[in-house]
Amino acid sequence: MSVNHFWTAFAFEPFMNALLIGLSMASIWLIAALGLAIVYGTMGVINMAHGEFVMLGAYTTYLLQSAFGLPFLLCVPCAFLIVAAIGAIIEKLLIRHLYKRPLDTLLATWGLSLVLVQGVRLMVGPEPKNVASPAFLNASMQFWVFELSWFRVFIFGVTIAAFVVTWWLLQKTRVGLMVRAVTQNKEIAAAHGIDAGRVYTLTFAYGAGLAGLAGAMFGAIKNVFPDMGAGYIVEAFLVVVVGGVGSLAGSLVSALGLGEIYSVFAYFTNGTFAKFWLFLLVVIFLRFRPQGLFSEALARR
Amino acid sequence: MSNPYHNPKAQWAAYLVFFTVLACVPLMVENTFTVNLLARFLVLGMLALSVSLVWGYGGILSLGQGIAFGLAAYGMGMTMQMQAQDPENMPIPSFMLTNELTELPALWEPFWHAPTGIALALIVPTLFFAALGTIMFQARVAGVFVAIVTLAMLSAWYSMAFDMQPYTAGFNGISPPNPLQLGGYSVDPYSATAYWIALACLTALTLGLKALLHSKFGLIIQAVREDPERARFLGYSVAAYQVSVFTLSGFVAAVAGVLWVMIVQYVSPTALEVSFSVTMVIWAAVGGRMSLIGAIIGAFLVNGMQSFLGDELLYGFLLVLGGLFIVIVRFLPNGLAGLLESVLGRFGKRAASSDAGGPV
Repeated sequence: MSVNHFWTAFAFEPFMNALLIGLSMASIWLIAALGLAIVYGTMGVINMAHGEFVMLGAYTTYLLQSAFGLPFLLCVPCAFLIVAAIGAIIEKLLIRHLYKRPLDTLLATWGLSLVLVQGVRLMVGPEPKNVASPAFLNASMQFWVFELSWFRVFIFGVTIAAFVVTWWLLQKTRVGLMVRAVTQNKEIAAAHGIDAGRVYTLTFAYGAGLAGLAGAMFGAIKNVFPDMGAGYIVEAFLVVVVGGVGSLAGSLVSALGLGEIYSVFAYFTNGTFAKFWLFLLVVIFLRFRPQGLFSEALARR
Repeated sequence: MSNPYHNPKAQWAAYLVFFTVLACVPLMVENTFTVNLLARFLVLGMLALSVSLVWGYGGILSLGQGIAFGLAAYGMGMTMQMQAQDPENMPIPSFMLTNELTELPALWEPFWHAPTGIALALIVPTLFFAALGTIMFQARVAGVFVAIVTLAMLSAWYSMAFDMQPYTAGFNGISPPNPLQLGGYSVDPYSATAYWIALACLTALTLGLKALLHSKFGLIIQAVREDPERARFLGYSVAAYQVSVFTLSGFVAAVAGVLWVMIVQYVSPTALEVSFSVTMVIWAAVGGRMSLIGAIIGAFLVNGMQSFLGDELLYGFLLVLGGLFIVIVRFLPNGLAGLLESVLGRFGKRAASSDAGGPV
């Protein structure tokens, strides 16, 4: 049966490369999930439009590149800033009115994602666009048994950088202290003079900005099209849920774990089976650790 | 005088009128395509009903109702496909031949026998919901986590249906050549019979659920929705009630899946698309998730609008739908039924105050 080979035998070199692909998957899922993790951890808001922020980041890059001729490496931070600004506006107009109703935020942000996808489709057009990345990122390299493209290394590096910067912001700066205070107990934090509303706006904008950053890079690996965000959202959610709410380290470990498990499953069977079993595994995992890998007991919201 | 919206007798009367009117529709509509379209709306209304049950009454936001719908639809599609196959001359569907399968996969064998096939189409999704519900609710997974887990399972099933070409015909989907044959009769999808079958199922399920929700079980379900912790302290097994309501909603969605394929004679992975399942939630939200009949009407309204506007305006329609959804969630969390409730409440109050001759 030629079409249905459900089992690939072990071979050293391809298997090592599968592990490397897993690492690359993990970095993609982590950068897509990081903003989601911060927003959910701090605000308790499940942002279903997160994937659409990724999409907006990709379109921002595309537009900056095609209209103003900005070099790709400069587009990446611009995508962060522009999408963060959009996030701040959306938080002020919509999200802030729904803090007491987590399920409703989920639904309202789904509505938002529909509006964003269709809006972009109507304004920019449904056909896929290309983002050109610099030549040196398009090359691939080879060492020992591994073969990988520089672009994957670039994404990996940006993800690590974004992770470290986020950790630093949260743990070492005054704003981060405020964010952590509001996360633990919004009322007490407010009683100490912290403007919780502003912290929420900042957090949401930062989360959106991270999605924009991710989008700038994803647009260059694949095409840019209006519903590209849907392709990342489920995996990103699972990374957050498995990692544990409000735990950056948890997101890192869970992205690594899920990426490697997926890639190894996909090596032995195929991508679809791997996805199916990975998702099922996550559900069973949540049966035994509903709070995720790293989550400490959080204040009830 | 209290709010007539809360009067059980008035509620039952409204349900009776609603379904009687629906039953008379094919007598007034000549065009068979319209009858078929309306029958589709009935099935979509049934999906909104399942969302209203699980989300409105159970407080469980499931984004995976499409799993039950899709699995049942595939079961029915396989059943109807096998009715067109001949064990002697043409034992396997043609799409399998093009996918290099030479014999019928074991997965398909039970579907030779139509009643078994239909029973499987109903039982398998229901059991899946029971199992998934047990896993989730025993671990006290709640709130948005349920939404994410059901979403993940849905997207896993979608990729299976999409990718397992030799078994499911992949992206193309299964289109059985003939209408469903049942006990010697052929159920023409464009006939009033098909419409009435769908309506009979919708009526039975709605009235059954209505009665169930008025019973003690229904009250406990709503207590669990309002505050699981307190319900637990009162000695109720919260998980057991949540699993029951989740499983029941899966069964309702599975019935919808079976009827859908009977009416459209086609099933494809779109039945398992994430956006479809979330759209069901939108219907229920528009009509009012706390009202079974409201959710059904929500499905009619949104789909009616969609087919009225037509395909050219589809993207614009989705834009409007998204905006409408945001507005409903933000300002009308109980949908149109909630609006009716407050309007009737105001009338009731006015009547009461004029009776008493002054403010009460």
